[in-house]
Amino acid sequence: MNIHKAVITAAGRNQRALPLQTLVDRDGNEKTVLRLIIEEVLTAKIDEICVVVSPGDEAAYARAAVERAGMIRFIEQPVPLGYGNALHCSQEFVGNEPFLHLVGDHLHVSQTGIGSAQQLVQVATEERCAVSTVQATRENVIQHYGTVAGPKISDRENLYRIETVIEKPTPTEAEQKLIVAGMRAGHYLCFFGMHVFTPAVFELLARHVSLSSALAELAKQERYLALHTRNRRYDVGVKYGLLRAQLALSLSGDEREDVLSQIIEVLAASNGLQA
Amino acid sequence: MSELIGIIVSRDPDVRNRSLDQLCRVATAATLLEECRALDVFRRTSDNLYERVRAQFFLYAIHRFYLPLKDGIARTGLIPFAASANLLKRRFEEGIQILLKAQGSQGANPALSSGLAAAYHGLAFQTLADQVRRSVRSVRGNQWMSRIGHPADYPLTIRSELLTKGSTGLYPILRETTPVRMDLSHSGWSDIFFLGMDFPEGARVLNVSIDLAVRGSGEGSPRPPVEAYLRVIEEPVLRLTSADLSATADVSSFAEMFDFARDYLGLLKAAVIASGIVAPAMEGCSEPLSDLLTRLVGRGRGLEIVSRVRDIPKGSRLAVSTNLLACLISACMRATNQIHALTGTLAEEDRRLIAARAILGEWLGGSGGGWQDSGGVWPGMKLIQGVVASEGDPEFGISRGRLLPVHQVLSEEEVSSETRQRLQASLVLVHGGMAQDVGPILEMVTEKYLLRSEAEWTGRKQAISLLDEVVADLRAGDVQALGSATERNFVGPIQTIIPWASNLYTETLITRVRHEIGEDFWGFWMLGGMSGGGMGFIFDPRRKSHAQDRLQAIMSDTKQRLETAVPFAMEPVVYDFAINERGTSAELLTGDSALMPRGYYDLVVPALMRVEPRMLHPARRAELDRFGAACRTAPELAGMMQNLFERLLPQSAEDTSGKAPPLKVLLEQFGFDPTLHEQIRTDMRNGRIGLAQNRLPVTSDIQDVRPGDLIDATGLVGERFARIGLDALKAGEVAVVSLAGGAGTRWTRGAGVVKALNPFCRLGGKHRNFVETHLAKSRRTGRLAGTLVPHVFTTSYLTHEPIRKWLDCVDGYDYPGPLLLSQGKSIGLRLVPMARDLRFAWEEMPAQILDEQKQKVRESLHGALIGWARDAGEGRDYTDNLPMQCLHPTGHWYEVPNMLRNGVLRDLLEQHPQLRHFMIHNIDTLGASLDPCVIGLHIDRGAAMTTEVIARQIDDRGGGLARIDGRLRIIEGLALPSEEVESALSYYNSNTMWIDIDRMLAAFAIERRDLKDESKVGAAVRTVAARMPTYITIKDVKKRWGKGQEDIFPVAQFEKLWGDMTALPQMDCAYLGVPRVRGQQLKEPAQLDGWLRDGSASHVESLCDWE
Repeated sequence: MNIHKAVITAAGRNQRALPLQTLVDRDGNEKTVLRLIIEEVLTAKIDEICVVVSPGDEAAYARAAVERAGMIRFIEQPVPLGYGNALHCSQEFVGNEPFLHLVGDHLHVSQTGIGSAQQLVQVATEERCAVSTVQATRENVIQHYGTVAGPKISDRENLYRIETVIEKPTPTEAEQKLIVAGMRAGHYLCFFGMHVFTPAVFELLARHVSLSSALAELAKQERYLALHTRNRRYDVGVKYGLLRAQLALSLSGDEREDVLSQIIEVLAASNGLQA
Repeated sequence: MSELIGIIVSRDPDVRNRSLDQLCRVATAATLLEECRALDVFRRTSDNLYERVRAQFFLYAIHRFYLPLKDGIARTGLIPFAASANLLKRRFEEGIQILLKAQGSQGANPALSSGLAAAYHGLAFQTLADQVRRSVRSVRGNQWMSRIGHPADYPLTIRSELLTKGSTGLYPILRETTPVRMDLSHSGWSDIFFLGMDFPEGARVLNVSIDLAVRGSGEGSPRPPVEAYLRVIEEPVLRLTSADLSATADVSSFAEMFDFARDYLGLLKAAVIASGIVAPAMEGCSEPLSDLLTRLVGRGRGLEIVSRVRDIPKGSRLAVSTNLLACLISACMRATNQIHALTGTLAEEDRRLIAARAILGEWLGGSGGGWQDSGGVWPGMKLIQGVVASEGDPEFGISRGRLLPVHQVLSEEEVSSETRQRLQASLVLVHGGMAQDVGPILEMVTEKYLLRSEAEWTGRKQAISLLDEVVADLRAGDVQALGSATERNFVGPIQTIIPWASNLYTETLITRVRHEIGEDFWGFWMLGGMSGGGMGFIFDPRRKSHAQDRLQAIMSDTKQRLETAVPFAMEPVVYDFAINERGTSAELLTGDSALMPRGYYDLVVPALMRVEPRMLHPARRAELDRFGAACRTAPELAGMMQNLFERLLPQSAEDTSGKAPPLKVLLEQFGFDPTLHEQIRTDMRNGRIGLAQNRLPVTSDIQDVRPGDLIDATGLVGERFARIGLDALKAGEVAVVSLAGGAGTRWTRGAGVVKALNPFCRLGGKHRNFVETHLAKSRRTGRLAGTLVPHVFTTSYLTHEPIRKWLDCVDGYDYPGPLLLSQGKSIGLRLVPMARDLRFAWEEMPAQILDEQKQKVRESLHGALIGWARDAGEGRDYTDNLPMQCLHPTGHWYEVPNMLRNGVLRDLLEQHPQLRHFMIHNIDTLGASLDPCVIGLHIDRGAAMTTEVIARQIDDRGGGLARIDGRLRIIEGLALPSEEVESALSYYNSNTMWIDIDRMLAAFAIERRDLKDESKVGAAVRTVAARMPTYITIKDVKKRWGKGQEDIFPVAQFEKLWGDMTALPQMDCAYLGVPRVRGQQLKEPAQLDGWLRDGSASHVESLCDWE
């Protein structure tokens, strides 16, 4: 299995401006969210990237991608019909081969030195099937994420065969259908915003409104795995999401000490203390 | 290996199901003690929950029913105070340790065995309840709620549809409607969790969802009886309203949400918590509730949840409250995305989840039902069966069965629609009017199942086969055969397992219906825990309409005849019903149809109308506009304006007083003493009298009896005494005085019926009341002695007329001797208690701590009642009830002097001048009899009064025989300075006393001839009364309202007690130790089953001649 294409979706009605925001990366350089995502993609030796955008957004996104703009193909989602439809818009670009998919409002921070996309593509290549990266997530926030369940693959660390996919479950539903053996009580495997799909997903997206229901179907018709990662993802689209993502990047980079001291200064000032 | 342990652990059902009785009946005391030792070790070490519990029940039964009766067991013993204290605090293990140690030093004896029996019984039920609680929490879908303890972790959000305002500016309303359930099989209470989790194969019921309408109420055709309404509001509170109980509250803190007994909204709160809207783990959270609501519905918003029961009275045996709980939970879970379908019916997995949450809700609210009770959530007819736990189930390895059963909905192929129609056309559902606590019944069923008592186990097997018969009849469409099967079930297995399932009222109804309707009455069918409330009668469909009319008349007439003897909560009703084939279902009300139920507006609109329109929240104004428009057009709101007008201008109290005479008239009629009343009120308010002041000073020297202080009459008494007694009887020197003036508060929890007339038990083949039983003993004694024994019943304002009328009606049970009533001459007016007395009663005095959640509910209720006392005015007259419920008898001390004042003693002595002795006893001391030996001992001793005492056991609380500052006397429990002192007294007062009439009169400083002089008698009584202590007591009184609702209030009253006569120096007193069967009193119906099983009932029967 050879994966050399990636699709980034960024057409969500409330997310159009998010990939254009500027953050400071681990090395202290200012970069847009889009550029950070593209750099993550490139660690996985991807040659062609497609970004699905809303009509009229291409120019701004091209500027945000800076020197990487040349390798990106922009595809518009003509009508805002949701996330699944946005991905479906990339079918022509992808053609009949497996591809890496990331969402435009998530940033990923590695805890191990190996990038999340690199790790995912490596596993998908070895296993020759669709794989989604998942993260152990506490029950109080699973209502924000697609959640999967299935048995662990024997002799493979962190790999699960997906049998069930439910979009944004309540803890009640999760307890009944999404418990995974070996997971800590009250923790579930939630999507990380990063997948390798086979082209079969496009057929399913043609029939299903949401990506999660298409993936639930995918799990029934072909081998579909979940890669449990220790890396962290940050949803920049939620309240204070950008701030959290920035803190995570800074605290994992070279300027950690400087950022920490600034945080303490802010804390002290907010409590009326002199720094 | 111990034989009993062999029974418990055997895998062979024939051995496993052997009864305890087979071995224990013939075993010696030594064998039983050895079995107890082995069982106690086994119950501590076994890994299997049900083996441990069964061992605990075996130990209970051995100590309760067998060991104390064996040869070689001492007759008396002392229960260490530490053991009693531990049992009250539910520290059963510690209590058992202390009792076993005491048994080692004292030897086995009835006192210690009574303590051990209580301890093992309590421990067994605690073990079972803990397991059910764990299982409920571990059901998948429920677990997360025990982990989410802070609003910051809150995971639920409201569905977007409920946040979409309509054109009126108001949020839509989610309305859930749910049928109730009837159990067409009554499979021997097999839906009790404890039973289903040990014997899933035998746990089966046939459960039918039904809609109801009270016949003649104008409600039209049957509809789902319970409803829940839910909507978003623009105030950050949880607004809970019960439309039928007229209660509403804006809950803004977690503490208030978990305060279940604060108001009538406990069930709504339990539903909100069990649904996860406020997770159970949030109890104790100090953040404001608005933090949670912000996450759930958005900043500044809240939720309003309204419940409604359509005119179905409490105690219907149709699981109305559980289905209301399930209905509310379903609405809450739909609204929070926990169930996928916002509207319409539910998927099976959602129904199961709601059933599990309803069980959790019942536990939270301190109530409890069976596992079939939420059957209304499912559609139509279903067979519900226990399931053997298998690997992967949380129960696996702990109990044999799963907590939740499976529901197999019967299709139309299995039971045709014609059969369903035929059932509807034949069955008449009624509420007989009785509302009783079935809790003790369910405990009895569990206990008997685990003991595998022979007759009951056979009954259970019969009930299981009768269920198969009922199902087969339905499949065959034979409703007549079904009627026969349900009646055979009632007469056979049900009453074999629990005799108390039936009662005189029910049996009278069946007899009368059969007499009137003849062969077209196809059978009786008992619903739920006990009969007398919800019941079914199956008729030939051609006679149904007539039968409905007649049943209403028969029930009302029978109730009227029995209502002074049997506690009724309401007027009987007949229902119209229809099978509901949908189960619970929801719809979203939007636009002009988004209205709450009628009762809601009755409750909230008057308050809103008093507020200036500009001060109202715009949403409230919009709702009032819409409601106003709907009142003019919607048929279900017809007459609302009139209702609201009446609520705004309520009628004065005088206009609504009804038929009963006003309190003022009753007070005058019964000789109320206002001066004494004011004195008591003043003293109570000033703290001169009260519960704490009832007690003797702590400096009093209180000692147990010494050898020789009392005469032992527990064994064989010399022939000489029997001869003396028999001679006295033959000479007509002895009469009986039964004290029947009391209200019997504990018997019916203050229902205000006459205990003396309560048909409490089937004796000699018929239900008998206390009066009949005592007369039957006097009849028998008279026959044996060849004399006619005078029998006097003392009465009070509460009991006199009912007893007189009853005796007239039954021709005095054809009692051959003189039968007299001594009418009470004193009465008190109940007072609102002092908060300090309530605190003393609930916090200082020993009381049985309840199961964890029930105790929380009880403490919440106590808090609410203390608040009520303060708001109502401590020490004020208690008048907020029916007039008769505001009065109280003044204690049995007055009942003897009343005989002096009302002329009964004078007349009796004129007609029977040879009369010299009275046996005076409580109405509930059934074993008290004119035993010639006891009479002989009394006469031989020559005392003015001989008091009978019994060896104290664990439940005998309330004083006893003691040496107080050197004088041997009876001391009331109220007067003892501490409970520890009481536990050191070996003998308990049976309150049966033998009185030498002349010597008693001498103590009053009068003689027989003075009885004609009313003023002299009055002065004598007042003089002695002044020397008797006045006790303040707290008693329960029921207030009935609504549709069978009952509130129990604590009220203060005063009393003087006859036992204090033993403290008078001029009364020469003697004391007689008598056997327990003679001296024990029946204070609570829950005692009856043990009384029947331990041989006491047959002992009483042996003393009686019924005709």
